[in-house]
Amino acid sequence: MDMIEVIGLTRRFGQSAAVDDLSFTVTPGKITGFLGPNGAGKTTTMRIVLGLDRPTSGRATVNGVPYRALDRPLTHVGALLDASAVQGGRCAEQHLQWLARSNGISRTRIGGLLELVGLGEAGRKRVGGFSLGMKQRLGLAAALLGDPEVLLLDEPLNGLDPEGIRWMRGLLKSLAAEGRTVLVSSHLMHEMAVTADHLIVIGRGRLLADTEITQFVRPGMSLEDTFMKVIEGSAS
Amino acid sequence: MNAVAAEWIKLRTLRSTWWALGVGVLTALALTALGASTVISRWEPGQTGEQAAMGIVVAVYVGVVLAQLPLGMLGTMSISGEYTSGMIHTTFVATPSRSRVLLAKACVLGGIAIAASLLIAIPGYLYGHVVASGFDPTLPPAGAWAVIGGGTLMIAMTTMLGLSLGAIFRNGVVAISVLVVLMVLVPFAGRMLPGGEVVNRILPGYPALQLTEQMPDIMPDEAAFAVLGAWSVIPLLIAVLANKRVS
Ligand SMILES: Nc1ncnc2c1ncn2[C@@H]1O[C@H](COP(=O)(O)OP(=O)(O)OP(=O)(O)O)[C@@H](O)[C@H]1O
Ligand SMILES: [Mg+2]
Repeated sequence: MDMIEVIGLTRRFGQSAAVDDLSFTVTPGKITGFLGPNGAGKTTTMRIVLGLDRPTSGRATVNGVPYRALDRPLTHVGALLDASAVQGGRCAEQHLQWLARSNGISRTRIGGLLELVGLGEAGRKRVGGFSLGMKQRLGLAAALLGDPEVLLLDEPLNGLDPEGIRWMRGLLKSLAAEGRTVLVSSHLMHEMAVTADHLIVIGRGRLLADTEITQFVRPGMSLEDTFMKVIEGSAS
Repeated sequence: MNAVAAEWIKLRTLRSTWWALGVGVLTALALTALGASTVISRWEPGQTGEQAAMGIVVAVYVGVVLAQLPLGMLGTMSISGEYTSGMIHTTFVATPSRSRVLLAKACVLGGIAIAASLLIAIPGYLYGHVVASGFDPTLPPAGAWAVIGGGTLMIAMTTMLGLSLGAIFRNGVVAISVLVVLMVLVPFAGRMLPGGEVVNRILPGYPALQLTEQMPDIMPDEAAFAVLGAWSVIPLLIAVLANKRVS
């Protein structure tokens, strides 16, 4: 039951709907790419799944229950939303320490995780001095802290260098191969084309596609071209 | 418990915490030492040992109350800093119950406020004892407990109020301004206005000054404690409600 379910989800801000009657299921064992143009509602959807925002109607569940009902949620769900939203005064290790403690997670994982995300040397440095890519890596370490079976990553490739992007691809694939549920939003179509197994495409808060990537990409076209066509088609 | 431990790690890993505590405790200690020496030097030779002990306690708790503003600001920063940086979202993902987060912060800050008050009061008391040794001070008399309780509650209350205002306004500058207005300006203005007596009774300042024997009694001590207690708890409840609002 390691799944993310979004059921008839709507979130209005004033008159306009950021998410509009959206339903999909993210299943384990594969990487699900979450695509859509700027303002399509990807971040809003993820925030609602994480209980950070309340839907106007509909609901979202993780492992069959609302996020807020999870006990020690970080041991079930790892999330990376806005990697730059950290307090600069703490060092990377200390940031992970409070986070681990908040969910009763052993701090012995911290050293290894910092090594894994390539911050082994920077663990004792203040986060305020980190580059965007380093913050992104720290955010990923935070998401993996509780060894969660479900991962929600909002544009985790932002700011990563080519080596970092390649590394992230390998990491996500191995996490999915371990049977985890991985939802990743991104605007990098070439990267998604080689990373994702499944795609959920939304535009203006509505579901445009929910399919295996091999079925989505039209013959003789790239993912990028297909994506553009689907978005244009939905706009008219 | 996890949430309380996490909040303690958050607070102790920020340098600003130690600055606020250092500034608060050290200035209060310096002023306590100065104030105690001055007050004691003016005592009549006829003071009994018990009066001397009481006098030392009173002098010391003036110092404790002086540390309240840095602690109130610490309370504010402990949450407004998270809103400003956006880290509050990580906090709420880790601990989805927002009231639990706020109460955990309140526990940690309450503990810090009491520890800070002891860090000022104990050395201050020992120092006062040395300066007043000519009067052979006894152990503090029973009446000293209202002073100790009132002073401690005052500093804890200001810390809680700072936290609550930070959670309500989510902006450090606004919250600290409101804190200063409530703690300093309104009591000051209240004293000048007709009906200031009533205003004094319901603001936190006068009850604390009454309990620490700095101002004449205008209400029973129980009422003064109740007012201080209410100022610690009610804003926190408002903050809990305000935090249910999604951001
Ligand atoms: N707090 C808010 N108040 C008002 N409108 C909001 C708020 N948050 C999001 N929106 C609106 O909701 C819509 C969806 O935004 P969202 O951030 O979910 O898009 P996104 O798919 O993540 O876009 P991007 O690819 O640019 O990150 C946008 O039109 C945005 O302006
Ligand atoms: Mg977004």
